[in-house]
Amino acid sequence: MLSVQQLKKQFTTLIAVDGVSFDVPGGSIFGLIGPNGAGKTTTIRMILRILEPDSGTVTYDGAGFTEATRNNLGYLPEERGLYKKSRLIDTLLYLAELRGMARAKARSEATRWLQRLGLGDSLQRRTDELSKGNQQKVQFIGAVLHNPGIVILDEPFSGLDPVNQNVFKDILLELKQQGKAIIFSTHQMDQAERLSDSLCLINKGRAVLSGTVRDVKKRYGKNSLHIEFDGDGGILNTVTGVHNVLLYEHEAELELDAQVTPRDIIAQINPRLDLRKVELREPSLHSIFIQTVGAPDAGSAEKEGQA
Amino acid sequence: MSKILAVARWEYMEKVKSKIFLIGLLVTPLIMVGMGVLPTLFVSQQDERSKIIGVIDPSGRVAGPFAERMQNRYTLKNHQPNYVVIPLSSGTGTDVEEAVQDANARVAHDQIDGYVVLGPDGRDSIVEYRSKVIGDFAIAARIEENLKAVLAEQRVVSLGLDPSILQQLVVKLDVRMTKLSQKGEKEEAGFERVFLSAYVFLMMLFLLIVTSGQMLVRSVIEEKANRIVEVLVSSCSPTELMAGKVLGLSGLGLTQMGFWSLIGVAASLQFGMNLIDLSQALLLVVYFILGYLFYAAIFIAAGSPLNTEQEAQQITSYLVLLLILPIVLALPAMKDPGATWIKVLTFIPFLTPTMMALRIPIQMPALWEILLTVVIMLFSIWGGMVAAGRIFRIGILMTGKSPKIKEILRWIKNG
Repeated sequence: MLSVQQLKKQFTTLIAVDGVSFDVPGGSIFGLIGPNGAGKTTTIRMILRILEPDSGTVTYDGAGFTEATRNNLGYLPEERGLYKKSRLIDTLLYLAELRGMARAKARSEATRWLQRLGLGDSLQRRTDELSKGNQQKVQFIGAVLHNPGIVILDEPFSGLDPVNQNVFKDILLELKQQGKAIIFSTHQMDQAERLSDSLCLINKGRAVLSGTVRDVKKRYGKNSLHIEFDGDGGILNTVTGVHNVLLYEHEAELELDAQVTPRDIIAQINPRLDLRKVELREPSLHSIFIQTVGAPDAGSAEKEGQA
Repeated sequence: MSKILAVARWEYMEKVKSKIFLIGLLVTPLIMVGMGVLPTLFVSQQDERSKIIGVIDPSGRVAGPFAERMQNRYTLKNHQPNYVVIPLSSGTGTDVEEAVQDANARVAHDQIDGYVVLGPDGRDSIVEYRSKVIGDFAIAARIEENLKAVLAEQRVVSLGLDPSILQQLVVKLDVRMTKLSQKGEKEEAGFERVFLSAYVFLMMLFLLIVTSGQMLVRSVIEEKANRIVEVLVSSCSPTELMAGKVLGLSGLGLTQMGFWSLIGVAASLQFGMNLIDLSQALLLVVYFILGYLFYAAIFIAAGSPLNTEQEAQQITSYLVLLLILPIVLALPAMKDPGATWIKVLTFIPFLTPTMMALRIPIQMPALWEILLTVVIMLFSIWGGMVAAGRIFRIGILMTGKSPKIKEILRWIKNG
């Protein structure tokens, strides 16, 4: 169980994190979502004690940060990289040893993980001989090799092809089964929606939404009209009685204003588009995200984590 | 502690396996030997062919005996005479100006290598040797020696004395430099040997600090660039990380030094050369280690806020200037190792190790100087490491623009 209470961090002029709180119980996956520069990475760095918070506390299984805590943490940073000229097995042994794992144990675990992720024959290869995706696998192994109780993954899915995204997703679910507390940050709302048990949406350093995925969605009510259609979807932007439109090629999600019924909307669009499917349901996380923070990149343009 | 060792082991193993280290290990002694030995080899190299020297002698009395002496005394390896001396014009009627022009033309056409112009009366005067090549010190010395002999002999004869009396008059002297030890005992140390050992130790210390300093900076910059540093400082404290790096690279430096010492010992056994005695060697090792640690702190402090190799190279070149200063001072220090300014420089921590590497083989510094400098170094290392640690802790997480000096000073102050 990881508990974050009222974390605050200010860099010279910018308040990067402003009173963020959340709990991550063991055996659950927690999604940290938010636009670029919202304060996700800064929050993660404070949990890892890479940065000291200005105020607020983080407790790990009810206790403060100790040397033992370090060994119970696993971390995959957002920006990827490994020692280019070093062998995979050496790199992994080093990372595990730094987390307090004995070398012999680390060796057998590293071998097992590499085999599982299809790199069993690459133990003695150098990092720069691997593809980007495979390097990311090695880094991921580095984060979980020492069997930590708390696993923190910053954008674990970025840069992965769908097959590997699936492999990572399965591993995350497996780690959850093992009772680990898992935090991952992401831009991909569909990932967050499918994987997280609970989540926190951070914008401009503040937690603007938090709770279980179901609670968050319930708060927005069943006033989201999902349609599938043929024809020029552009006209959907002119529909009245709608406060948000998410438009795809043959699909759209319309957030209805209060007092507006689906019938009013359908009456407007039916003459101009061939509707194939209409459904009233909870808004997607993606839609909630955009309604809450505006366009995905509307947050502070400043890069996260820079002093 | 176990994490410090893990970092140290990693830094050591990864660097010791790298090609750069291996090349530095093997090539550095070669460069040092080359720089030390080759110039002297070239200077004392014998001529390969006979040199033709013209003589313009207005007196008409000197050219003949001078030519005879020069041709008979020096021979090449192939038993040809080293110098062939031809009188260009001699006798009282000589028009020196005309003769010089004629001789210049001959030099220009490579008919002669050079020519000597003697004074009008063959007595004490300035003698000129003119040639395209004037760097040949041996020829100048030989011309002087033989002309002196000829002139002296003629003067003895003109005084009505027997020329053989000259042999008895000439005093032969050879001033030998002999180094005395601290206790006033004679030491078998020639100028070359002292100079060579001072020079070799200085260069060794210099190269050791620069190469491992660069490795230290490069490893920090690589970890910053690939963001592994975030994983590292969430695994162990920045202090542990820094200590591990210093320890690992010190091990690397000791490996290098050990290897070079083996080569040195082997070389001195082979050539019967005894470069240095044991007590001096041990003291030098102490200063090596102190200097190494002190500069490690400086390299960490200078390197951890940086983000690119280019910036690192710039900083390194400034530090190199600081380190190379005592090499420039080598000659004056050898001439007068007791000079006050040499002593004062020894107490500046940046210079202490290299100045000591220079001074110890020349003249053992007084005990109080040794004790005081060691204490100063220990304090400097301690202060340097604390400051470096404060910079390191913040610097390694900085990306983008490198901070200003003022900002770095604030990090040190705020701890």
